[in-house]
Amino acid sequence: MSTVLAAAGVGAGEAWTFWILGPLAILAALGMVVARNAVHSALWLVLVMLCLGVFYVVQAGPFIGLAQIIVYTGAIMMLFLFVLMLVGRDASDSLIEVLRGQRLAAVALGLGFAGLVGAAFFRALDSRDAIGLAQANAEGNVQGIAASLFTRYVFAFEVTSALLIAAAIGAMILAHVERHKDQKFTQPDLMRARFAPGNYPGPKPGPGVYATSTSVATPGLLPDGRLSDRTISPILPKRELTEAESTPKATEGR
Amino acid sequence: MRFLTQDPTLADFGHDPWWLILLKIVVAFIFGMSMILLGVWFERRVVARMAVRPGLNQVGPFGLLQTLADGIKGILKEDLLPRTADKVVFFFAPTVPAIFALTALSVIPFGPMVSIFGVQTPLQVTDVPVAVLVVLACSAMGIYGIVLGGWASGSTYPLLGGLRSSAQMISYEVAMGLSIVAVFMTAGTMSTSGIVAAQAGGSEASWSIFGWHPTVPSWYAILLIPSFLIFVVSAFGETNRAPFDLPEAETELVAGYMTEYSSIKFLLYLLSEYVAMVVMSSIIATMFLGGWRAPWPITAFWSGANSGWWPLLWFLAKVVLLLFIFVWVRATLPRLRYDQFMKLGWKVLLPVNLIWILLLGGLRVMQDEQFSGRNRWLIIGGAVVAVLLVALLWPARKAEPKTTLEEQMSARPSGSFPLPPLDLQVPPSPRAKRVVAERRPANVTASGAGSGQVADADTDADEKEV
Amino acid sequence: MSLSAYVPILALFALATAFTLFSVGISQIVGPKRYNRAKLEAYECGIEPSPEPVGGGRFPVKFYLTAMLFIIFDIEIIFLYPWAVTFADLGLFGFVEMLLFIGTVFIAYAYVWRRGGLDWD
Repeated sequence: MSTVLAAAGVGAGEAWTFWILGPLAILAALGMVVARNAVHSALWLVLVMLCLGVFYVVQAGPFIGLAQIIVYTGAIMMLFLFVLMLVGRDASDSLIEVLRGQRLAAVALGLGFAGLVGAAFFRALDSRDAIGLAQANAEGNVQGIAASLFTRYVFAFEVTSALLIAAAIGAMILAHVERHKDQKFTQPDLMRARFAPGNYPGPKPGPGVYATSTSVATPGLLPDGRLSDRTISPILPKRELTEAESTPKATEGR
Repeated sequence: MRFLTQDPTLADFGHDPWWLILLKIVVAFIFGMSMILLGVWFERRVVARMAVRPGLNQVGPFGLLQTLADGIKGILKEDLLPRTADKVVFFFAPTVPAIFALTALSVIPFGPMVSIFGVQTPLQVTDVPVAVLVVLACSAMGIYGIVLGGWASGSTYPLLGGLRSSAQMISYEVAMGLSIVAVFMTAGTMSTSGIVAAQAGGSEASWSIFGWHPTVPSWYAILLIPSFLIFVVSAFGETNRAPFDLPEAETELVAGYMTEYSSIKFLLYLLSEYVAMVVMSSIIATMFLGGWRAPWPITAFWSGANSGWWPLLWFLAKVVLLLFIFVWVRATLPRLRYDQFMKLGWKVLLPVNLIWILLLGGLRVMQDEQFSGRNRWLIIGGAVVAVLLVALLWPARKAEPKTTLEEQMSARPSGSFPLPPLDLQVPPSPRAKRVVAERRPANVTASGAGSGQVADADTDADEKEV
Repeated sequence: MSLSAYVPILALFALATAFTLFSVGISQIVGPKRYNRAKLEAYECGIEPSPEPVGGGRFPVKFYLTAMLFIIFDIEIIFLYPWAVTFADLGLFGFVEMLLFIGTVFIAYAYVWRRGGLDWD
């Protein structure tokens, strides 16, 4: 049982993992703050979460480590990404301060908080050994979690479900555009609209690009020789054809 | 139990010397890579055979080396970086799904305890108490590669493809995550080797039918068949395979999130798809098909089938069979529409799954808690009555009033696009005609009036022989 | 159960990372480089790419709802796993507990279904 190992002291592998991933996690956290692009920020945060997951595993909590990776990195960060993409790809932060002196205050408060946490940890970890890990993981990590979650903390566990209901309702209110059944545009409706009088149901003819020139902006010819406007995509910019494009390709003489 | 000594337990892992770990991960890596070669070959050759084409047959025996040739060709292609792309993310996005798909191979059990260069070790890279969660975490992380690849391309089709794909994968991850709960309930562990050991089976049931203790089938595919079916369906959704290959629906999205990728980056996406397929096949084999254990008829007459290196053969056979099913399904089923697909995941698989878990839990609790016979039947009866009541009182959808053809025709507004008459006779299928022709003796001259028809039948039969 | 059993997972992860980064890197060197402006444009079936809408490509808010629902059920699943593993020990008490939990989450599910949050159109 080398989960006891952590109780007895820090193992070599654990120390290695910590000293490699710890700085990486801090760098990633800094990257999250510094990155200009919101999606890049989110990606740095994903890296932080992954490192945290590995830390949990190293701290003899494999279930919580994997849960961290599955729920936080897999689900919650995915939601973050979706939201950021919702806003748009190139939306960067505006650097105009809304609150005056906000940054200074943030830096001061952040440093103060870091000092507080650091001092607390220093005092708590100074020449003290962690105990109780072996007992907690005696029957295996997952079993230990289940034993306390479903007996001692059963109320908290049940209340979580209420939290999930709140989340579902919140998401529905924020993001769901409710439409009445009559307003829904179903597939039969689409087909009816397609075959309604006045609408041409077939695919639009292609441009005349293959016949006369190399540009998709060349309109196709109708059987009577007139140009057909329908053959040109409306999003194409209108422009004059160059000499080379408008001259018919020499196909006869070959 | 004869094989118990062969079964690796969790205590057997984590003692390998460093060179053995290295050997194992390299072998697992090579396994993944060679299965890709096989998977792509399968994909093209089997689909070709099902479409009555020869398929790959040029490079190597049976065209087996075609994948390798394609890979080399892909490497030598120009690596494009679109002007609108997000350079860094575009660069590393294709690596993400490949990395995590390969990592998931680390917890797949290939066999029992074997001796490698004198060291007794399980034929598995490693196993941990949360091994199945490692696979789930890997498949959850793999989604990043797809959504980021789509986003970083800076183009419309990839963005839509990546989004579709990620929404699809997270939807089916729910179904997949729920379907293995029943496995954990039955096996009592989340370690892959433990789940294989729990399917060793052949045990007699604790319950009885009039004093007869039937032998419980050991494979969870039979024991927990709803979970098995849901898992297989969600595995198809999770790996973006047909009939759920919506992110790369060519007719709508070109190549989906891969549209802007070329050269090795494109190959990496392909690679990750096939590795994910191999991982899913291995996980299905491990969790539902008894893992590396030999199937029943073999164990009946050969006691050594589950020891030594033989289990590797059974495991590979199961994986290849599942890969074949992946390809078979692709060759058979048309692609679903996106709303149908989401409906299947959220409105069918999810509730069925939850109800099945509760049902299984209820049954197991009733077994364990030693309810007296009368109480047990009362509970079962009550549950059945409740289900029937719900089914009876469920608001039925109103049937649409039937309209005749004439009414439909006259309901069309004037000036509508002309339609062919709707009461046209559907011509008989040419296949049916051929069957009829083959049964009839090939006799052209003997018949008088129907000679033309028979001649027709003859040409049909001839065509088939060509 | 020792922590050293987790080392091979990290090792395989490192190997896979090395392999993919190597192959992505080598494609920069091996492949030809023939500059062509049209080649570097976004692919839109051969026509000139339509300009992206302001703020880049936006997509329907529907995806956000799906991701939120996914989180809800992911959390439920994470709670189900330890319960399932220790199911035999928890017995009737554990079953009733989970019945309540799943029942409550099912209310949320039924609500979302009823409001049409699961329809995709």
